[in-house]
Amino acid sequence: MTQIQAQPAQAQAQAAGRRELISFRIGAQEFCVDIMSIREIRGWTAATALPQSPSFVRGVINLRGAVLPIVDLAARLGFESTEASDRNVIIVAQIGDQVVGLLVDAVSDILTVTDDVIQPTPDVASETAKTFVRGLIAMDGRMISLIGLERVLPDHMELEAA
Amino acid sequence: MSMTVLTVDDSRTMREMLRLALSDAGFRVVQAEDGLHGLEVLAAERPQVIVTDINMPRMDGFGFIEEVRGDPSHRAIPILVLTTESDAEKKNRARMAGATGWIVKPFNPDKLVDAIRRVAA
Amino acid sequence: MDPLAAIRETFFQECDEQLAELESGLLAMEGGDQDPETINAVFRAVHSIKGGAGAFSLEALIRFAHVFETALDEMRSGRLEATSDVLKTMLRASDVLADLVSAAHAGEEGDDPRAATLADELKAMSGGEDDTSESEEDWGDDFDFQPQAVSFEAPAGPTGFVVRFKPRADLYAKANESALLLRELARLGEASVELDAHDVPPINEIDPEAAYLSWTVTLTGDMDETAIREVFEFVDGDCELSIEPIAADEAEAGGEPEFDIGSLLAKVQGDAPAATEEAPAEIEPAAAAEPEPEAAPEPAPTLAVVPKAAAPEAPADALASTGPRKTEAGATIRVDLERVDRLIDLVGELVINQAVLSQRVMEAGLARASAVAMGLDELEQLTREIQDSVMAIRAQPVKSVFQRMPRLVREVAAMTGKPVRLVTEGEGTEVDKTVIERLADPLTHMIRNAIDHGLESPEKRAAAGKPAEGVVKLAAFHRSGRIVIEVSDDGGGINRERVKGIAVEKGLIAADAALSDEEIDNLIFMPGFSTASEVSDISGRGVGMDVVRRSILALGGRINIVSKPGKGSTFTMSLPLTLAVLDGMVVSVANQTLVAPITAIVETLQPKASDVHSLGGHSRVISIRGGFVPLIDIGMALGYRRDPLPATQGVALLIEGEGGARAALLVDAIQGQRQVVIKSLEANYRQVPGVAAATILGDGRVALILDIDTIVSVSRGEMRKAG
Repeated sequence: MTQIQAQPAQAQAQAAGRRELISFRIGAQEFCVDIMSIREIRGWTAATALPQSPSFVRGVINLRGAVLPIVDLAARLGFESTEASDRNVIIVAQIGDQVVGLLVDAVSDILTVTDDVIQPTPDVASETAKTFVRGLIAMDGRMISLIGLERVLPDHMELEAA
Repeated sequence: MSMTVLTVDDSRTMREMLRLALSDAGFRVVQAEDGLHGLEVLAAERPQVIVTDINMPRMDGFGFIEEVRGDPSHRAIPILVLTTESDAEKKNRARMAGATGWIVKPFNPDKLVDAIRRVAA
Repeated sequence: MDPLAAIRETFFQECDEQLAELESGLLAMEGGDQDPETINAVFRAVHSIKGGAGAFSLEALIRFAHVFETALDEMRSGRLEATSDVLKTMLRASDVLADLVSAAHAGEEGDDPRAATLADELKAMSGGEDDTSESEEDWGDDFDFQPQAVSFEAPAGPTGFVVRFKPRADLYAKANESALLLRELARLGEASVELDAHDVPPINEIDPEAAYLSWTVTLTGDMDETAIREVFEFVDGDCELSIEPIAADEAEAGGEPEFDIGSLLAKVQGDAPAATEEAPAEIEPAAAAEPEPEAAPEPAPTLAVVPKAAAPEAPADALASTGPRKTEAGATIRVDLERVDRLIDLVGELVINQAVLSQRVMEAGLARASAVAMGLDELEQLTREIQDSVMAIRAQPVKSVFQRMPRLVREVAAMTGKPVRLVTEGEGTEVDKTVIERLADPLTHMIRNAIDHGLESPEKRAAAGKPAEGVVKLAAFHRSGRIVIEVSDDGGGINRERVKGIAVEKGLIAADAALSDEEIDNLIFMPGFSTASEVSDISGRGVGMDVVRRSILALGGRINIVSKPGKGSTFTMSLPLTLAVLDGMVVSVANQTLVAPITAIVETLQPKASDVHSLGGHSRVISIRGGFVPLIDIGMALGYRRDPLPATQGVALLIEGEGGARAALLVDAIQGQRQVVIKSLEANYRQVPGVAAATILGDGRVALILDIDTIVSVSRGEMRKAG
């Protein structure tokens, strides 16, 4: 039933220029991504380390028979690497035709926002911020960065440099 | 309801060509790969017309036509022979076996459809 | 793809199947097969190709197939004896036919001079008659039961025709219908129809299979006789038919004010039911008791004009009661490969889940004999069986690859001037489709090599007291869960002195290297090694057995050679039955669990401190039976640790990598051997150097499968830099 109701709600949200975002914490920072790209959220399991990979790639885990790479989103966004423990969660996201796990501290909320609430990223932002941050949302006195996931996996340059 | 045509041919290419030509003309097409298979399909389907090849493994077209005509419940089904053979002796054998008509490959789809319409209602 | 293009592809696929059938049939006949079904199958193969070629107007192919078919027909009917020479010509013809098919497929239909020459030879065999003209007639799109004697030049002069038509019983026996013929006629112009029912006997004397009625149709309008003849083309010979032009004045007169075909039908319908209604009453009890359910559809010819709609119903109803309805009968079904692959994936997951579950139960401390543990054992058994059955869906006989070899042998034999007989065994041995697809190239190389290098020239063979014809044998069989393919020749065997000399000359081995016979034989697999003193067209181009070896290794296989001087050589390759699972050795390295493909591992050993020597930096070698091989620390190679593991604290896996180069891989410990399901790393991530793929172990964690060749070649590169 929930699904049946969710569908029209989502359609409505889109029709009205509204979108649903899922927000999560990395350290003291709050980020969000479009809920449409999220497949599931699961607890942390130890990953198998991959040789010759950038440090933000924590390795691979078994997701119901598929081999899923885990990206430490904190490290990816230029913060300190996450000390993963049972408290951490993995957000399983669909990026293009690949499925990737994002290691974050905790999932906090589902937000419904209209496009006009999303403010452009200020020019002062760092290169990393420019790569991933698509906009800023101010809500209840908090600042939440909207993240784009297209470039979360390492590209060839980074792979070779590693 | 559309008319059902049974095509019997050991060549996949030919079967596909026939399916294309005949279904374009609005017929329902059922297929068999040789005479024996044709008899099985015939027992399960209700074709109004049969189009059969002659040279086939297991049971050739002549044998197939004889079997069909030998079964009283199938005696009224028109059978068109579709084959590259065009010599008179083979045509005669097919006629003796009970074939309704003869079409030489490669077939012109329109003529085939015409011929089918002509032998069936 | 447009449907015709798709059918065209089907045609070429089918051609390949037919060509294989053709060749194996001819070879069987050459080997003494006299089964008439063999020549029939051979004939049908060419016949089918001709038929399809006709549909796509592939003229060169049609012409050649026709000549070929004619010769085969002569052979089939016994007029042409299947002598060895005749069959050799036929085999060459099958090669030409294959080339014409390829050319047509590539859209490069042109005149092949070989085709012309061979066509002449075939014609000569078929009795020399040039039947080209007949063949061209074949390709008209006429269809008939009568020669197209009536030409289109016939003047359409008269304003009408009188058609007299009296069917014989045969006409009905062939499922032709008078009513339909009359309807067709009525379409040609104004028709007036006279029914002559004078011959109809009293109803109780009616023979239901006989024909009693005749019709006279007067057609007026603009038409020609050809059109009328066409209406009757299928029934020519099964009826009395006369077609006479009517004089202009006669046409004017038009005869009596006849009813048109519609009213005729109405009239006959009106009459006919009356007859049927009466029939049951008057038919003798004997007839009524007849069990045949078909009295209605084939009643007397009086009912021949009963509207068609009613007729088919009866047999259909009869059928409905005689058997269950089936759609496509047949022993095989075609399944989209993707669906099979999906199923294989799912079974792979099932195997993993089952392993995870077993491990958890073990960890929970349940007794081996407990009901749960025993149930799990059964589940494991069942899971294995499901896996095997699913893998079997993709399995195909190696025949499809073996079939390509006879032609290759003929060609290489012709080029080298060595008469060769190919013997194949175990064509029905099955292996995964993907493995089969990747077998063709290595096999081609090996067969070429066997003829070019393995077999001696006829003179040398004669001098050695061997028959002039060399024998190359291709055999396949299953052995301990793998497929083994052997290519052997009865040639001179490997000239070890020469092989060793070349290897020294090319710097592949040290001049004073002490090698066993076996080691020398295996030198031919080293990259860049070629024994041909001059680069020939056949085995040259710098491509040799090293390429064969690499492609076999890439398939998780192994290859070796056993050679006996003067007697010949045998190449043996053993391959996994599928690429979806792999036999692995599970090892620990720096707290990681890794899997090494067992096929690459020659032996495992415990390094002794005295056998390990440092070359400076982190480069080490280990001495194994007097030879030195590089010792590669896997933990270092994959970046799992910064400092090398002391060799004595680990275990070395002696492996054979690309080109037969040996190396020892140092790991911390060996956990065991296990069959693992291969999982792609690239699906969600990318290729990782040193890692071939991933798998999921019993604890549910991902383990990486080592890409040994890459690890070895990278380490060698580093070693060279270091040295």
